[in-house]
Amino acid sequence: MTTKQKPELLAPAGNLEKLKFAIHYGADAVYIGGRQFGLRSKAGNFTFDEMAEGVEFANQYGAKVYVATNIIAHNENLDGAHEYFKKLYEVGISAVIAADPALIDACREAAPDLEVHISTQASVTNWKTAEFWKNEGLPRVVLAREVSVEEIKEIKENVDIEIEAFIHGAMCISYSGRCVLSNHMTSRDANRGGCAQSCRWKYDLFEDGTDGTVDISDENDEKYTMSSQDLSMVEHLPDLIEAGVDSLKIEGRMKSIHYVATVVNVYRKIIDAYFEDPEGFELNSEWVDEIWKAAQRNLSTAFYYGEPTHKDQLYGRPERLPKYDFAGLVLDYDPETQFATIQQRNNFGVGDEVEFFGPNFKRFKQTIVELYDETGEPIERAKHAMMITKVKIDHPVHYLDMMRKQK
Amino acid sequence: MNQYKPELQATAKDLDELFRLSDAGADSIYVGHQDFANRASGDLTIDEIKQATEHLQAQNKKIYVMVNAIYHNEHLKALPSYLKQLESINVDGIVAGDQAIYQVIKDIGSSLSINWHPSTLATNYQTLKFWHKRGLSRATLSNELSLDAVREIKEQVDFPIDIQIHGMTNIFQSKRRLVQNYYDHVGQYYDPDQKRFIKEDRKEDTHYPIFEDKNGTHIMSNEDLMMIDHLDIILDAEIDGLKIEGILKETDYNEAIVAIYREAIDTYLADPEAYQQKKSGWKQRIYQIQPNDRRLNTGFYFKEQIY
Repeated sequence: MTTKQKPELLAPAGNLEKLKFAIHYGADAVYIGGRQFGLRSKAGNFTFDEMAEGVEFANQYGAKVYVATNIIAHNENLDGAHEYFKKLYEVGISAVIAADPALIDACREAAPDLEVHISTQASVTNWKTAEFWKNEGLPRVVLAREVSVEEIKEIKENVDIEIEAFIHGAMCISYSGRCVLSNHMTSRDANRGGCAQSCRWKYDLFEDGTDGTVDISDENDEKYTMSSQDLSMVEHLPDLIEAGVDSLKIEGRMKSIHYVATVVNVYRKIIDAYFEDPEGFELNSEWVDEIWKAAQRNLSTAFYYGEPTHKDQLYGRPERLPKYDFAGLVLDYDPETQFATIQQRNNFGVGDEVEFFGPNFKRFKQTIVELYDETGEPIERAKHAMMITKVKIDHPVHYLDMMRKQK
Repeated sequence: MNQYKPELQATAKDLDELFRLSDAGADSIYVGHQDFANRASGDLTIDEIKQATEHLQAQNKKIYVMVNAIYHNEHLKALPSYLKQLESINVDGIVAGDQAIYQVIKDIGSSLSINWHPSTLATNYQTLKFWHKRGLSRATLSNELSLDAVREIKEQVDFPIDIQIHGMTNIFQSKRRLVQNYYDHVGQYYDPDQKRFIKEDRKEDTHYPIFEDKNGTHIMSNEDLMMIDHLDIILDAEIDGLKIEGILKETDYNEAIVAIYREAIDTYLADPEAYQQKKSGWKQRIYQIQPNDRRLNTGFYFKEQIY
């Protein structure tokens, strides 16, 4: 029997639509970015009105909304911080995720009841740092990605503080926050949202001997790079739960709705299955199979079971992974006629093999046989973006179920 | 009368370099050991640190010991006794970059002065004020700041501020073995003592030193910082510590660089006009000893960043 409490499943939400999908598909909390102080300057990012709408939606599910304010600020970025945190608290945000003590202080001064969580950008890698923040009165730290399962156990044994840890998604290959490659190579400040992902570029590696230099990458016909595989703990989630992780975090505010819904759905299922019967829990290959449908790179457990090796890095050409499109969104379903109303999200048509999936890990495949447009005219393909179609469905579906198609 | 006296800081890889840089005019020297230090230019034992401390303090100079690794639980076991040893040696301060240091120093009741040096994370004055309240004595600013920002920070805080004025800067640290991993990937023998650099694809003149140690993989800047002809701005701003980073450089080079900056700083403080007349000469002396593959520039001190 597990003695642990069910951890929070925390998902990214780049915009209001993604927020709704993340929560509908089973996230207990989402983290979003606002217009200021966040690291994903290219993610949709929320206005205060959108945040309020997001919070209202989340409340219906009993879910929470966190806001990332995780830049490493420069002097000129500090203006307006107090007003910003005050406003976040007023719109009903549950916590902010911050790395810079200047912003932590600003938040505590302006909105004392707004929780502050220490961001992974601050590289919390040990239990004394966790203890430091505990003593500062903070309820939660997001661990650095360099911490192992064993180290998490030690941190939990030594410090009574909530631990948030990443379970899935892209990773910095550096200690987060301790990389300014982008600043130096492109003049874009990585720690204020401008990261150019220079670690994933191709380089030449030279040995610098006394008789001149040797281009090792040229000799081996393989460019040097530091690109990391993506993290996935899909096969090991109980280890993190038993280590005492309080919040299981999925990366990716820039990722698609299809990605967020798919990944959240799988981890929701695993957490629920584990708590339903910890003793009898077994990994279901369907969960792993489902995760790969949203994978964008090969997957790794990173530092959780020891130091990653060359096998956890990406060299050469990208692996060809099967890619899936979000083909359509279910708006309605009529059990009598067995027709679903589907909003087109990517081109699909008669003869296509598609897969429907929805919350609680419901999924089934079928071939599209009957397809009509909004006026009831039969059509071969749904070509127009966001067009409304009627599709004959093999099994019942629900509002906000999704239809995917292999590319 | 102006009491301002800047501290010319340098790094030493061994005792020989420490003695020579001190003789060349450094006011303080950074040393460390990779067991607890990130990017110390060489590993000094506790006995060597003791010897160095006695030597420097006899001349009214200072020694700072780097314990700026990003700590994992494992580090924390031996760190308290290391800090206690440093305290009993009476070093002038420790250089730290992990937030845990504030907790550890408090726990062991240590009186060691903390020079807060969290590499990329010392970018604004409010942050530094936060850490000052928790015990920092002085702070080393991040290198990716404009001189205007440095000046503004100096005006806002009432503790000493250090900046780097010469040498390469660190731009990346990973816990992974990113060099060895590549050799393993291509199936070639990895010699850890070999010097290496990486070059951006299709950018011929790039040269980023890369190396591994106990703390992972470090990448250094493409250029060496050189502020010899802008010392007037820095000294007018009364920046407290001016640091020459000597990592991956020969002692001869570092010794010459320290001597040049010593002369330049003293000249400016005594006679600003003379500094203006002589600065192109110092610059030329630096160019003469600068390795061919290392360009010189002013880093981010006069550069705009976007984000």
